[in-house]
Amino acid sequence: MERNTMSYKARQFLMFAGPALILFCMVIIIPFVYGLYLTFTSWDGVSATKPFVGLANYVSAFKDYYFWSSIGRTLIYSAFAVVFVNIVAFVLAYLVTSGVKGQNFFRAGFFIPNLIGGIVLGYVWKFVFNRAFVAVGEAITAGAVPSLLSTTGGAMFCLILVSVWQYAGYMMLIYVAGFMSVPDSLKEAAMIDGCTPGQAMRNVTIPLMRSSFVTCLFLSITRCFMVYDVNLSLTKGEPFNSSVLAAMHVYNKAFIYKDYGTGQAEALILFIVCAIIGITQVYVGKKGEVSA
Amino acid sequence: MRKRITQILALTMILSLVCVFLVACGSSSGSDASGGSGDGITIFNSKMEIQDQMLQMAEKYTAETGVPVEVYYSSDTVSAHLATRYASNNPYTLSMVDAKDVYSLAEDHALDLSDQQWVNDTTHAISVDGKVYGFPVCVEARGLIYNADAIEAITGKPFVPSDYATLDSFKELIETLKAGGMKSPTGVMKEDWSLAAHFLAQVYEEREDPDAFVRALSADTTKLIDDAKFNSLMDTFDVLMNNSYSKASAISAEREVTEQKLAEGEIAFLFGGNWDWSVISAYDYTEHLGMMPVPQNTDDGSNGKLVGGGSKYFFIDSSSNTSDQQKQQAKDFLNWLVYNQEGQSFLVNDCALVPAFSNITLAVSDPLGASVKSYVDSDALIGNYNYLPDDHYAILGAQFQKYLAGKDDREGFAKQVQTYWKTKTLTAHS
Amino acid sequence: MTANEKAARKKKINHVITIIVLILLFLLFIAPFILVVINVFKVKADINMDPLALVGAHGFTWQNFPEAMKKMDFWNVFKNSAVITTCATILTILVSAMASFVIVRNGKWKACSILFALMIASMVIPFQVLMVPLVSVYGGIFKILNSRLTLILMHTGFSVSMATFMFHGAIKTNIPLELEEAALIDGCTRWQTFWKIVFPLLKPTIATVAIIDAMAFWNDYLLPSLVLGEKNLYTIPIATQAFYGTYSTDIGLVMAALLLAMLPILILYLFLQKYIVAGVTSGAVKG
Repeated sequence: MERNTMSYKARQFLMFAGPALILFCMVIIIPFVYGLYLTFTSWDGVSATKPFVGLANYVSAFKDYYFWSSIGRTLIYSAFAVVFVNIVAFVLAYLVTSGVKGQNFFRAGFFIPNLIGGIVLGYVWKFVFNRAFVAVGEAITAGAVPSLLSTTGGAMFCLILVSVWQYAGYMMLIYVAGFMSVPDSLKEAAMIDGCTPGQAMRNVTIPLMRSSFVTCLFLSITRCFMVYDVNLSLTKGEPFNSSVLAAMHVYNKAFIYKDYGTGQAEALILFIVCAIIGITQVYVGKKGEVSA
Repeated sequence: MRKRITQILALTMILSLVCVFLVACGSSSGSDASGGSGDGITIFNSKMEIQDQMLQMAEKYTAETGVPVEVYYSSDTVSAHLATRYASNNPYTLSMVDAKDVYSLAEDHALDLSDQQWVNDTTHAISVDGKVYGFPVCVEARGLIYNADAIEAITGKPFVPSDYATLDSFKELIETLKAGGMKSPTGVMKEDWSLAAHFLAQVYEEREDPDAFVRALSADTTKLIDDAKFNSLMDTFDVLMNNSYSKASAISAEREVTEQKLAEGEIAFLFGGNWDWSVISAYDYTEHLGMMPVPQNTDDGSNGKLVGGGSKYFFIDSSSNTSDQQKQQAKDFLNWLVYNQEGQSFLVNDCALVPAFSNITLAVSDPLGASVKSYVDSDALIGNYNYLPDDHYAILGAQFQKYLAGKDDREGFAKQVQTYWKTKTLTAHS
Repeated sequence: MTANEKAARKKKINHVITIIVLILLFLLFIAPFILVVINVFKVKADINMDPLALVGAHGFTWQNFPEAMKKMDFWNVFKNSAVITTCATILTILVSAMASFVIVRNGKWKACSILFALMIASMVIPFQVLMVPLVSVYGGIFKILNSRLTLILMHTGFSVSMATFMFHGAIKTNIPLELEEAALIDGCTRWQTFWKIVFPLLKPTIATVAIIDAMAFWNDYLLPSLVLGEKNLYTIPIATQAFYGTYSTDIGLVMAALLLAMLPILILYLFLQKYIVAGVTSGAVKG
């Protein structure tokens, strides 16, 4: 058997993973390395010179109070958003796979929010919060009603709400595929053996859906951590820059405050933080995955 | 066997479909690349208000002169957008930017225009180290926008702005309006650029030497809370803030709603600039709108002048990505704006801009622009201070918003401003 | 009542409760859309003054649609978006499924585990880190920007990580090794085994990845705006951004553009839904 020769392995690998590998390297690895190089320069984004400054950008990134406070806010926002998105998505997926009539219609319906791109989504919700909610509030109380977006806590709440609304349908899709991949025969066998539906859920369905959980958790954590579009259009960092999340701060730093080197360094730090969290979560999750 | 053949067939079909798509895509790109092929100019417009007009103008200009003109717009921040264009070696022939961008881009990317004729017809061009780089698109000024019809409906007599140059007389007028039925006669824009880049900036600008003051702030040799100008302007701001229709939720007031209320006469006063006309004009505006200086209890004359100057500048790309022919075509375009009748009409009538060139004598078409022009002509304009740091409007805008929301008092706000300036080291500039 | 009838009744009550809950949640979810649909038929002034009214003071108007379509150059950008999205989605699926197959089955090979780890790590790289370097290298040095083909390849490059991740989970969990071994015994090569046996079984995941990627490509603004400099190559999101300037938003046009852009993806999703369900029940695994 030629299975273990180097050439066999190489051929197999390139045959299957070759295209992906090439595209991945060209589009991600190469620019990443170049971007890494740029963090060691004091480039302002437009000038023709890129003076080398060693670690100066990283030092100023660590000293940047606004950066670390934006990361703190992002952590809080992500924690809430991830938990709620997954709970809502799981419940929705369960409901739409329970065999009721018209569940296909609901599957479509709940997914619709995710069809809108991030920026437009933010503008629509801004309209909802600032105009529609306020109009309803004023009609009820017959007085001036402040918008939810005008306070720090309110703005965060709105961001979380919009994110849950946006991603619940998306994650629901993945959970639906997960639910459907658990053979009914297994569930029935468990029930025949005397399990209640709740126990069957906990001991049979959920463990077999582990890969769905890992996927959904990973996707929701990373998306929430790197949120930018909705942040920009919904709150734009207001009120008083208290809802500026990490990705927005990093972008502003590089392009609006024209401190490109520090902005890039901060972006890399953000990447490392996110990577650690994400990879840990995937690693822990994948270890317990059950194969069919 | 049959199944295998169908499988192969299916796969081949898919792959060839993909190939056809790819080829089709590849071949239609670069078809009429006016940018790299050496002919025709691309213009980057950063003024959303005139985007439609610029597109129409481009068509007419191309038809008349035969020079292909393409106008682009992006809602990205100007500096970010241009940074990526320059990084990808695909710059626009003409880019419209703010004064600050000219300073940062000029040396490396802008063409020296000192020898152009129009330099002599304007005082608003931007130069660096004695060389002219920025072509002023228009003059813009800020002040208190008013709706004379709404005011006169209550007071019963013609509204004369100069009667209300002092804060005391302005306050009386507000009380009269309130008594006459206008519950909240003012509006305040909550946008950070309006608060920090425009209103707060006037604290620096309305004095003999703004630069010296800013440097003193940076060196921490002056106390803002004791500054007469700061207190004078904040007193006025307080009056505007306390009588605003959005008082209960000032920081979520939407610009479009506020301007609509002003246009229709529901409120009478709003601090803004003549660029607001493009927003106001979309609504059912009453006939008599105008702009007056911000009322203050002061003798230094600043309450008789608007603050403004050149705004939005074109610069021509100087890199090798733009051919000499294109550079000349760009220069011709700028000359057309200044000296050709149709170009002038485009600026003044179509775009409703106040021209920055003394040779253009067309009457400004919109009421706010007309107000500005009258102040410009009677030399009652305080100049802009164009050297504020890039993050000034965002950071101090946020602090000003806290003040607007009632979360901070004047002393706290002044302290925040001083803290910000202490972290800034200012470089010399020409 | 017999025990059977009781059980049947309980099941029916459960169903009714489920449907009611679903309807309530559904209304909550589409409430913003209802607002959009109401307001898109109003003039801007009316949207400002009375966002909840069914009909504005100035009356019902279709005006936002033709105006939005004209400003966007709608049919042209629609064509661009369609071509780019279709090609990139197909390419991503093919390329990622293949890659994840070799990674799952040969997880111990150094190359596979390194590639997979890199891919996962890359999913959290903020796009901004890559933004300027990407255009510097491919625009500044290689000058291949301003082409739809480049954009398609770049879209694919950015998406292979997530797609591979999803296929990886699906293959590991749902494709039994016995099937592949049976095929090998029958004389198939690995390549044939993949295309004839594994790929068809991945239908639910393919459909899921398809809809997720198609949607991402369709709605993506940032990457296309960097790559496509020329107007006639613009995609829908780039054309739409003219409606929301840095300083103010024409909400009526934004809403019209939103509805126009959403429709194709919604149709695609409805179409793919059946495959997500059908794929599982047609597997050769049971029994």
